[in-house]
Amino acid sequence: MEHDPAVIAGVTLAIEAAIARAIALSPGTQKQLQTLHSVDIEIQCTQPSIAVFAIIDQDGAIQLSNYRETKPTVSISGTWREFLSVASAADPAAALINGDIKISGDTAPLLRLQSIISDLDVDWEEPIVDVMGPVVGHQVAEVIRTLTSVSRSTHRRMKRQVSEFILEEGRLSPPKAELDSFFSAVDDLLLRTDRAESRVKRLKKRLSSLAGVNE
Amino acid sequence: MSSQDNLTDDTTDFGFERVKTAEKAGRVREVFDSVAAQYDLMNDLMSGGLHRLWKRFTIELSAVRPGQTVLDIAGGTGDLAAKFSKLAGPDGKVILADINAAMLSVGRDRLIDKGALGNIDVVQADAQFLPFADDSIDCITIAFGLRNVTDKAKALQSMHRILKPGGRLLVLEFSKPTSPLLSKIYDAYSFSALPAMGKLITDDADSYRYLAESIRKHPDQESLLEMVEDAGFVDCRYHNMTGGIVAVHRGIKG
Repeated sequence: MEHDPAVIAGVTLAIEAAIARAIALSPGTQKQLQTLHSVDIEIQCTQPSIAVFAIIDQDGAIQLSNYRETKPTVSISGTWREFLSVASAADPAAALINGDIKISGDTAPLLRLQSIISDLDVDWEEPIVDVMGPVVGHQVAEVIRTLTSVSRSTHRRMKRQVSEFILEEGRLSPPKAELDSFFSAVDDLLLRTDRAESRVKRLKKRLSSLAGVNE
Repeated sequence: MSSQDNLTDDTTDFGFERVKTAEKAGRVREVFDSVAAQYDLMNDLMSGGLHRLWKRFTIELSAVRPGQTVLDIAGGTGDLAAKFSKLAGPDGKVILADINAAMLSVGRDRLIDKGALGNIDVVQADAQFLPFADDSIDCITIAFGLRNVTDKAKALQSMHRILKPGGRLLVLEFSKPTSPLLSKIYDAYSFSALPAMGKLITDDADSYRYLAESIRKHPDQESLLEMVEDAGFVDCRYHNMTGGIVAVHRGIKG
């Protein structure tokens, strides 16, 4: 099914504007992106069938388009589920390389771009100050910063504590070392059983050959 | 319906009206003189901002590269020219052409405000008699302008003449909706809401009634494709947008 170019243009325009806003609020990112000038990335979604091209211009801005005639520097293709799993992975670079997404062309600029984006440090204070003024805006930004920091550390702490409760207090799941030792013992038993089985077969063969000689 | 049919008895369409061929350019000029100042605002209101997306896709199809020469005919308020200026870069050139001085004046002011005049020339020209050398332009665009041209075939031939071999023409224009239901909704909108909006914003319902009528009299996708081919272009195709309300036709000079 052919998609309406105006719809794709609307989506790419919105994403492009959001990326541009984030880059503008992250000091240094634009300069880093300028080093990738002329890099042309084709993102091809096979299900549904949509191709979007991202090019980094000389000003370090990322431009998205629905149509391109030049050969891309790197082309990545996969289904929307595969792209979603890469985007939500803890390590997107590893997920991209080890996952089902197909990559062709020069992958170095792609990894560099991924590294720049993951280092994006957006300063949200500027747009807040623009709207609320320097006095109130700064206070609001401080509150947001504190809340973000508290929420991050709470998330980390919760993750650790839940893990500790499941493993040690609730004994709901064995610790990793115990599991590893158990699996290793199972492997060892499997090997021994295989050896015993082949030994029995060998002995049986010997017995039958001895019985043949005696007759 | 071809443009030649329009010219029988030395008359042509002006919306649903028949006027003398020599009068059409003057009548169209009056319309655009009236709407020039509020043209972009009206475009945003009438299309719900969609005209920006239609133009964006047209720019993508142009595949303009740094150093190239681009001619934007009926460029009006210069929104396409500003984008092409960036793509063509300092070694390239963009020519903003329009038959209407009022539209060009608004366009030039907008481009100055955007700081985009370094590689842009502004030329008042009639699309039927383009004042440029043969084989001198890499890409020509005409967005929402061809339907106002008196002799469309002559204009397409003129564009073909000045394009370099391998150069491309892009015609962005209102067309025929592909769905009958959308067509009915679109008709109701064009002939009721559009003139009302025109009256409210520019105090000129007639100009916007003309715009709606001229859209209906414009050739549909297949007819325009045939006209582009007849003008000598090769590898011609079109892309429908927003259910065929708008189509962008592409032709290459062989």
